[in-house]
Amino acid sequence: MSRFQRFPTAPARRILVCRAIAILVSVIVVSLLLAMSGRNVGELAHLVLTSTIGSRFGLEDLALFMTPLLLTGGAVTVTRRMGLWNIGGEGQFYLGAAGAAGVGLFIHGPAILILPLMALAAMLCGMIWILLPALARAFADVNEIITTLLLNFVAGLLVYWLATGPWRDRVTGALASTERLPVSIPDLWGVVHWGFPLALLIVGGLAAIMSSTRWGYEVRISGASAGMARYAGMPVRVRIISAMLLSGALAALAGMFEVAGTVHRLQGGMADNFGYLGIVVAVLARGSCLAVIPAAFLMALILDVGIVLQTQQVAATVVLAITGLVLLLVAIADECAHYRVVTPATGRTVRKAS
Amino acid sequence: MADPVKQGNGTPPVLQLLGVSKYFPGVIANEDVNLDVRPGEILGLLGENGAGKSTLMNVVTGIYQADAGEIILDGYGAEFATPQDAIRAGIGMVHQHFKLVPAFTVAENIHLGWSETPKRTSRAVLEARTRELSERFGFPVDPAARVETLSAGEQQRVEILRVLSREARLLILDEPTAVLTPQETRELFTALRAFRAKGNAVIIISHKLDEVMEITDRVTVLRAGRNVGTWATADCSPNMLAATMVGHDIQRQDLHARSGDAAPVSTAPVISLRDVTVRNDQNVVTLSDVTLDIFGGEIFGVAGVAGNGQRELTEILTGLITPSAGTILLDGQAAPSGAAAFAKAGVGHIPQDRLNSALAPSLGITDNMAVREYDRAPIGSGVLYRATEAHALAETIAEVADVTIPDFSMPVRNLSGGNQQRLVARREMRIARRLLVAAYPSRGLDIGAIASMHRYFASLRDEGVAVVIVSEDLGELLGLSDRIGVLCGGRMMAVLDSITADSEEIGLLMGGRTSGASVQTEALT
Ligand SMILES: Nc1ncnc2c1ncn2[C@@H]1O[C@H](COP(=O)(O)OP(=O)(O)OP(=O)(O)O)[C@@H](O)[C@H]1O
Ligand SMILES: [Mg+2]
Repeated sequence: MSRFQRFPTAPARRILVCRAIAILVSVIVVSLLLAMSGRNVGELAHLVLTSTIGSRFGLEDLALFMTPLLLTGGAVTVTRRMGLWNIGGEGQFYLGAAGAAGVGLFIHGPAILILPLMALAAMLCGMIWILLPALARAFADVNEIITTLLLNFVAGLLVYWLATGPWRDRVTGALASTERLPVSIPDLWGVVHWGFPLALLIVGGLAAIMSSTRWGYEVRISGASAGMARYAGMPVRVRIISAMLLSGALAALAGMFEVAGTVHRLQGGMADNFGYLGIVVAVLARGSCLAVIPAAFLMALILDVGIVLQTQQVAATVVLAITGLVLLLVAIADECAHYRVVTPATGRTVRKAS
Repeated sequence: MADPVKQGNGTPPVLQLLGVSKYFPGVIANEDVNLDVRPGEILGLLGENGAGKSTLMNVVTGIYQADAGEIILDGYGAEFATPQDAIRAGIGMVHQHFKLVPAFTVAENIHLGWSETPKRTSRAVLEARTRELSERFGFPVDPAARVETLSAGEQQRVEILRVLSREARLLILDEPTAVLTPQETRELFTALRAFRAKGNAVIIISHKLDEVMEITDRVTVLRAGRNVGTWATADCSPNMLAATMVGHDIQRQDLHARSGDAAPVSTAPVISLRDVTVRNDQNVVTLSDVTLDIFGGEIFGVAGVAGNGQRELTEILTGLITPSAGTILLDGQAAPSGAAAFAKAGVGHIPQDRLNSALAPSLGITDNMAVREYDRAPIGSGVLYRATEAHALAETIAEVADVTIPDFSMPVRNLSGGNQQRLVARREMRIARRLLVAAYPSRGLDIGAIASMHRYFASLRDEGVAVVIVSEDLGELLGLSDRIGVLCGGRMMAVLDSITADSEEIGLLMGGRTSGASVQTEALT
């Protein structure tokens, strides 16, 4: 008689297989729901495939979605290594966008100078935005989840105010946005700008930092065992602060890429949940920097599918529902990966106890 | 050597294992093990570190499933999918590393995950029930106390009571006395004898052979996962058991004798404490006015009942805490601040609770072995951390520590308790150029490993390194150290020359009494 037994560790291959099954199941569930609401699933599936991974435009869209997700996902992963959560990606994204837009709008010069300056300003703003939660965490043990989260709302309002107030577009009189930025990140392939390969590079670099720098090692140890970090005399506070600052800078860079590469102006609501979706990406990536890439791809795919479905009069909230479903099933899959069938020992010839 | 006991024809065994095997990737933890334990007996389970004792007991209690073999309970085949199944069948286990919820009270821990816990209940009810259980089984506990405030011995009583209250007939104890004071050990043994007298059975794992001789009726020895034999304790001697475990005779040597080319005891102290006082978070004095010089080339033993300032003293000596008053001199200079600076200055530290303070349990062995040397060549260079060099270091440490490791990325918590200790000890000895501070270094080690660690301490001493050993085992201290300091209530009661000191005198000092004339305050000045 065999049965399932939970093992303390799960090998990566099992996790992958279980997750593939989870994603398959979520596709089936979504199809079933659509079929039950009277849609032609075959037609929809064809449409979804051709307009996402099946066509050039679809692939361009995917890359555009992936760019900010790579960075916000990476941002959350950095703090996960330290055993912390940065829930404030959304706010840092806004601040990064605002800082970049400020430079782009008010400093004029050749793009080759202005773009790096925008990136610097963005990262600086993002770091300032997370500085308070980081200090509170390091010195007063204030839970960073709450502080980073609350600052998101402040950041969102700040950008609304900038875009409709002091920085509003006085040329075309468009509502709720600044005028178009004079510089932009050059396009690489269709609408895909250079931010996409850069984001991939940054995530790769992040993986290298985590695995092969002393800083990455200290973050790994401090995150895994506070007792050992103390024992080895590691500067835990400094590591908390630096990991959180890096995280803030990454999320802010996503804002800069978005404002200078895709939207070309600062407008309220432009973060579009990319900061929060970064948390989803990081959860899917299970703390591994390189796994952020496939996780961001999956998340981008879900977003893209959602847009296609919207054109077919499926409610916009369906994206959230699908994301929730995928996360739930993936979490179940991760747990299932710990279980294996064991056959208790009966096959062996039993010796007589005489 | 006595013959293994023939399978008796008296009472049927409570538990019988037939040909049990358990494999981990790259490791044979158990192979073809036969074992039985009868009602009304205490069986000792012996073996070197990593011999598979804990794993075998985890198989019996359903934490692991056997890859082959049979478990027979009261004459019937049994298999347990979970520890809950095992406890329902009357088998309870107290693990090498305790598994209580630190933030919960004793009463809450006792009632956690128990089918007989009343559905609607209150604190008072749980505490009353706990008090009643504690009286019934003769294990005094304070039901309202939070577990994290208890000493190791008290926590262990809670663990045992938790198991007994679920009507265990077979109690399995994995190295129960490793963390106990001699007094607590005596109390535990009294309770175990009472438990046995009611017709119950006990399996006890221990590395302390005199305790095994004292408490067990029979012993089963494992070597490299295989069963070497079972003997009636009356037919055994500690030497014979040691030889059976290791597979060859163990020579005792006199470690006081210095090798011919040994460095002499330094004239200037390596580390000096001057009127050092430590207060804890509650502003209670835990170390009081300690003045001490420790010299290169000597082994300084620290005796005392646990909890009398040993932890604070080791943390002061390794830079983990700074004194509330007083000064510390390292090689005559004001000591640097911080544990990292101490380590860099050549101070190694084998702490009391290695799994949680010297290791990151969830990380791989490589990461854990690099912690003392990641900031220097060849592992660290500039800002870089070279994983391949770290791996090479881990391999070197594992080799001198005599620990076979199938996979260096495996979480270090998967190693046997003794092997974790061996790795930490070797890692720290590598950096101890000036001073090695070892708290209870032989805890959890088998005798072979203890002997080789003691030899290594002696050779560090001969190289001119100062070695501080905190231990509750007076035999260990007397056999190894040049001087012995006795701590009581945070005070250094006296520093004695170990050649002239006797254990009775030390015992009195440990209890806080000074016996006048024989007390020397500074033996080496
Ligand atoms: N979960 C696991 N995964 C891989 N290997 C394991 C695991 N648990 C134990 N081992 C290995 O099995 C062997 C036996 O370990 P076990 O803990 O049973 O030893 P032990 O006899 O209890 O030793 P000690 O006296 O040091 O506690 C060791 O080599 C250990 O590394
Ligand atoms: Mg063990």
